[in-house]
Amino acid sequence: MPAAPSTTVPTSPALTSAEGMGIPSLEVRDLVKVFGGGGGPGRQPEVRAVDGITFSVDEGEFFGFLGPNGAGKTTAIKIVTTLLARTSGHVRVLGHDLDTEGSAIRRLIGYTGQSAGVDGELTGRENLALMGHLYHLPTPLIRQRVDELLEVLQLTDAADRVAYTYSGGMRRRLDLGSGLVHHPRLLFLDEPTTGLDPQTRNAVWEYLRRLHRDEGITIFLTTQYMEEADQLCERLAIIDHGKLVAAGTPAQLKAEVGADAVTIRLPHDASFEATQTRALTLVQRAPGVVEASRFDEGVVARAQNGGSVLIEILRILETERIPVNEVAVAHPTLDQVFLKHTGHAMRVEEVRPASRMGWANRRR
Amino acid sequence: MSIAVPSASQTARATATALPSASHGPLFLSDVVWVCYRSLKKLSRNPFLLMFTLIMPLIWLALFSQAFGTVFSKAIPEPYNYVAVLLPGIAVMTAIQSASQSGFAMVADIDSGFMDKFFVAPIRRTAVLVGKLLADAIRMAAQAGVVLVIAYVLSLALGWKIPFATGLPGDLLIMLMAAAFGVAFAGLSNTVALRTKNTESTMMVSFTLTFPLLFLSSAMLPLAALPAWIQTFSKINPVAYVATAARSLIVSGYNWTQIGQAFLAVAILGVLLNGLAVLAFRAQGR
Ligand SMILES: Nc1ncnc2c1ncn2[C@@H]1O[C@H](COP(=O)(O)OP(=O)(O)OP(=O)(O)O)[C@@H](O)[C@H]1O
Ligand SMILES: [Mg+2]
Repeated sequence: MPAAPSTTVPTSPALTSAEGMGIPSLEVRDLVKVFGGGGGPGRQPEVRAVDGITFSVDEGEFFGFLGPNGAGKTTAIKIVTTLLARTSGHVRVLGHDLDTEGSAIRRLIGYTGQSAGVDGELTGRENLALMGHLYHLPTPLIRQRVDELLEVLQLTDAADRVAYTYSGGMRRRLDLGSGLVHHPRLLFLDEPTTGLDPQTRNAVWEYLRRLHRDEGITIFLTTQYMEEADQLCERLAIIDHGKLVAAGTPAQLKAEVGADAVTIRLPHDASFEATQTRALTLVQRAPGVVEASRFDEGVVARAQNGGSVLIEILRILETERIPVNEVAVAHPTLDQVFLKHTGHAMRVEEVRPASRMGWANRRR
Repeated sequence: MSIAVPSASQTARATATALPSASHGPLFLSDVVWVCYRSLKKLSRNPFLLMFTLIMPLIWLALFSQAFGTVFSKAIPEPYNYVAVLLPGIAVMTAIQSASQSGFAMVADIDSGFMDKFFVAPIRRTAVLVGKLLADAIRMAAQAGVVLVIAYVLSLALGWKIPFATGLPGDLLIMLMAAAFGVAFAGLSNTVALRTKNTESTMMVSFTLTFPLLFLSSAMLPLAALPAWIQTFSKINPVAYVATAARSLIVSGYNWTQIGQAFLAVAILGVLLNGLAVLAFRAQGR
């Protein structure tokens, strides 16, 4: 049954591999990455981008990291794909040691980064073929594999156009394909659908599901979208400020939150904090409320029967002349799991253009 | 469907003996060739860049021969045209210009995330650098070739007195020298690019050095026509050695001492600057 720790869960049972399985595909223990600090003229403040995370991914699993901007997702994924050095911690990928067997690891994994790493001046076909050559596949095989990938990614018609002319969604799919040419056993995807329209997102999801189901590839994905994690991942970990705050199957995590959530947003004015404190006390005492807590925009209460409890709460607040901006009742979702563990709502910065993406993470 | 990805056990066996580098010998060469092929393909997809790559030397040639020709011709011993003296300088200058831009492609690949694609592939990082430099070398040799062809055509059309003393083999040697120098100098551009990840910085550093290197050497004038302090400085300026050797190939004939010195100077410069570039490249993500 789900463990329900309060804030941090460094070694929750859900984070380590399930019993009875072979070697996990990915084992990460106490991983830390600190950027900046040190001496020198160009010194920057120290950032603990990844702050001691432990988890493992089983063979054949579809695993996800769910977290907001700056949570440390990209940093973590770059470390385990050998792209970035870690500050400390232990990592084994497909049974190989990250430090001494980097090239063996690279041969076996696929990686699709957050910014679409395709060459705009090459055609789709050339992009894929180049990857095939860099993985030292025989040429006839490359030709066959490239055709196959173009087909499943629905890029056949655009195959001989330079990738420049592709739409964002096409680029994403091409990028996905270029990480798959060599049939990786373990695939890393960093926000594969960020910035895509819902229709394209669905198509990518469908493809990933097929890939996982039909070819048995182990997939590790990061996402900012609750829905994506919910839809795709068999197991996921929530990451915030470089720490894993919860982990489990989506169902387990939602069961943890259990009851309905009644969200009361208060006006953001000078007396917000005072209002929030009063509202919290009142809501806690309202009949039917199991638990209430503050969050950055007001108060959230948990109750089995959210709808009728809300009516009661509103009546009380009205009597006490507490202004209310907005109310909502929600059945358990990953949003609430996130809210519960981090104390703040998850915000998604929408649609960052791919070409600018490198800038934020550029300085090393 | 069977794919030539080694199974876990195979890989484990292979890596026990073949660590930590990714691919050796023929595989390394194949990686270099594919990286180079990709760079050249990009160049060919860029007609504008390609055109300017070839027009640039022509502009230098016209500019220098017309602007300085009459002034400097007094310093040139008869019977040669100033262009004969200038030619190697233009070839080197073109190579320097292209070498200065070498780092731009690095920055672009890092920004776009494409570099990560190279870095997660089971290839050595040096293969990526060497492949890019090979593409640069081919481009710079071609540019030097264009300079020579244009000069030849003009010498016929305008009656410029350019002896081309060593003929085609000498011209090929000049192209090789220009490319080798360009590759050596590109180490600077790539080092700055990889350390700053910034196009402007990359441009400024190379740009600042280009003109002193050229003009504090015999590239544009015979050494004897230059002030004493420049003559002294040119003893440590690799551009001077390349220009001198190349000039002899055009004006008088093979001077193997000069050619040897030129390649030695280029080798020293190349090892130094590209050594720094390799270090900067290995340090990516470290
Ligand atoms: N090269 C770097 N130098 C300094 N700080 C960095 C660097 N890369 C990332 N960071 C910082 O580390 C933290 C985690 O960044 P990271 O890119 O891993 O987040 P993320 O979860 O991938 O976010 P997003 O959803 O926006 O992609 C952020 O605070 C970021 O500013
Ligand atoms: Mg990220």
